[in-house]
Amino acid sequence: MAEQAYTVASDSETTGEEKSSTFPEIAIGVDIGTSQCSVAVWNGSQVELLKNTRNQKMMRSYVTFKEDTPSGGVSSQLFHEHDLLSGATIFNMKRLIGRVDTDPVIHASKNLPFLVQTLDIGVRPFIAALVNNMWRSTTPEEVLAIFLVELRAMAEAQLKRPIRNIVLTVPVSFSRFQLTRIERTCAMAGLHVLRLMPEPTAVALLYGQHQQQASHENTGSGCEKIALIFNMGAGYCDVAVTATAGGVSQIKALAGYTIGGEDLLQNMMCYLLPDSQSLFKNHGVKEIKSMGLLRVATQDAIHQLSSQTNVQVDVDLGDGLKICKVVDREEFEEVNKNLFEKCESLIIQCLQDAKVEVEDVNDVIIVGGCSFIPKVKNLVTNIFKGKEPYKGMNPLEAAVCGAAVEGAVASGINDPFGYLDLLTIQATPLAIGIRANGNNFIPLIPRNTTMPARKDVVFTTIHDNQTEALILVYEGEGKKVEENHMLGYFKITGIPRAPKGVPEINVCMDIDAANVLRVLAGVVMPGCRQPAIPVMEVRMPTVDDGHGWCAEALNRTYGASLNLVTLQKKA
Amino acid sequence: MPTSLTLAVVPTVSPRLLQRQSSDRISLRRISLSVVATATEAESGKMESRRSTASLYEVLRVEKDASTMEIKSAYRSLAKIYHPDTVVKRLPEYDNGREFIEIRNAYEALSDPSARAMYDLSLMAAHGGRNSRFARPLGMNLSSEFYTTGRWETDQCW
Repeated sequence: MAEQAYTVASDSETTGEEKSSTFPEIAIGVDIGTSQCSVAVWNGSQVELLKNTRNQKMMRSYVTFKEDTPSGGVSSQLFHEHDLLSGATIFNMKRLIGRVDTDPVIHASKNLPFLVQTLDIGVRPFIAALVNNMWRSTTPEEVLAIFLVELRAMAEAQLKRPIRNIVLTVPVSFSRFQLTRIERTCAMAGLHVLRLMPEPTAVALLYGQHQQQASHENTGSGCEKIALIFNMGAGYCDVAVTATAGGVSQIKALAGYTIGGEDLLQNMMCYLLPDSQSLFKNHGVKEIKSMGLLRVATQDAIHQLSSQTNVQVDVDLGDGLKICKVVDREEFEEVNKNLFEKCESLIIQCLQDAKVEVEDVNDVIIVGGCSFIPKVKNLVTNIFKGKEPYKGMNPLEAAVCGAAVEGAVASGINDPFGYLDLLTIQATPLAIGIRANGNNFIPLIPRNTTMPARKDVVFTTIHDNQTEALILVYEGEGKKVEENHMLGYFKITGIPRAPKGVPEINVCMDIDAANVLRVLAGVVMPGCRQPAIPVMEVRMPTVDDGHGWCAEALNRTYGASLNLVTLQKKA
Repeated sequence: MPTSLTLAVVPTVSPRLLQRQSSDRISLRRISLSVVATATEAESGKMESRRSTASLYEVLRVEKDASTMEIKSAYRSLAKIYHPDTVVKRLPEYDNGREFIEIRNAYEALSDPSARAMYDLSLMAAHGGRNSRFARPLGMNLSSEFYTTGRWETDQCW
């Protein structure tokens, strides 16, 4: 069915010559959430959300494996409770992608109603769906790709043209390793990622457009406005501070963490059934069913607590296990106290990083699925001394709309009315640097550096006649390299023999506007203008799974023999 | 290739000031005509000295006594022209954001009052003798002249 729609679309494309010449391919905006996803496109004057055949704008992010044909939440009939209970449905891909089995987020995913198995050695977890009483192995990438293929077919059928370019929103806290996984996933689905946009920055762009329109209407009010964007979905919590004027949004700071509705749900499940972890450890067919039932009941309860102060949970998990309990809102808030505190600290950190005071913030924008939770709304407004949140944005659609606008801006389409006279200047969410001075992490590009960026630092050898050096590239905020993500490594060879501290090893990091990181390293001997050896250029990340292992193996094999230190310039 | 084209600043104050790349100066000047008319010092005829020591003020096309607001709005209007997201529309020779980085560095330096004060001092010092140079890592030259990154066909394969 999808195939057919595609053929029809490309036929009409060839006949509609003039249409394709005035409109270069507009990239579509895609927001794949942990729980829900949506697609939007710029139609020349505004953003339009695409709907599936069931007239839904929001589609559940899941894939059910049945027999030989997996089907995702875009095309398949309904999110049958049965699917969730049979072990054949994989979801929460966005929480699983690009993580190793020592990651706490993976461990927390072990009581999902499908198989997430860990060996706790730093390799990718084993994920499988139960099909005909057999565990069919899969990967988060595969599941996401199946889902994206469905989304793509849907968009192609509606827009009547082939879709290749997309702007995808991603959580702020995604490592570069996770971003490459996402890009690879898109490539599997035949999609080219024009931009990966941190979710709150997509919202910032939409806000910029709102401001631009407002200032067109009453001319002269083109002064700078500062907005704080708080976005909490099912899997991630993101915060951004943006300064907007004249359609230009400068991202001043970003902060993000892996907390979301899923964690609220898991905490509640633990609260309702304290020994759920051990009960469900075996992942038998029965346990999966109980797990699914508990999940659905808890989710419903949390949803209801957004509008009412208490809720009756009444669920039969089978095997004589029944939960019959009244839960009130205070209990829910108490159970998730730590999570809400973490949200607060993210906001405060983001404000500090942006060097912005609470009073300076003109607008507070709260979006994402969790924005319906009263406690979430309160905790944000309390920080801003009761300031009313910004209205005029749909909390579930803001990110995808921003992505669609960015898709149009970055595609460079003809824009006679100046709707797209917009720009978001992005910043790096995490610091990037190399290992030097022992086990220390030396950031070259600090967190919240404006992109595109290019920075360099000069290092030198630590041994006399050291002819080789290892460049180990990390991303993160820890002072020691072990606390950060390794992105890759390479060796510089052929350093001219010299006493230690003499060769100048210049390491340069370059991030272009498409967020591609390249690490360059060159060696210069004092007094020479030309580099002593050809400059090395390495695109990062280069490491696949088990990056923790690489660092250990390198350390075991080479010790400190190829180390570097920062070069202290003589005055 | 001239060797002492780049501007020298005390690195301990603000290393980001060191990102000057003078080789792009000509193209920047050409395009600057279409930009804001604040670049009044551009026609002072000192083409040679401008190329060799284009100041951060010149990069942002503002006067030396420009206010913070003027600097900010100059940065924004230049960003709209030179940011890679918008530059593809206007300029066929895509420079991978090099111009924008330069504009950004100038903005960062001039929008921070203490960094700006230090920079103004260094400008005055440099005005005295053309060769007055500050300590500067050698590698910096390297980065501007040899580190050219491009886009590769295989970028999609990652």
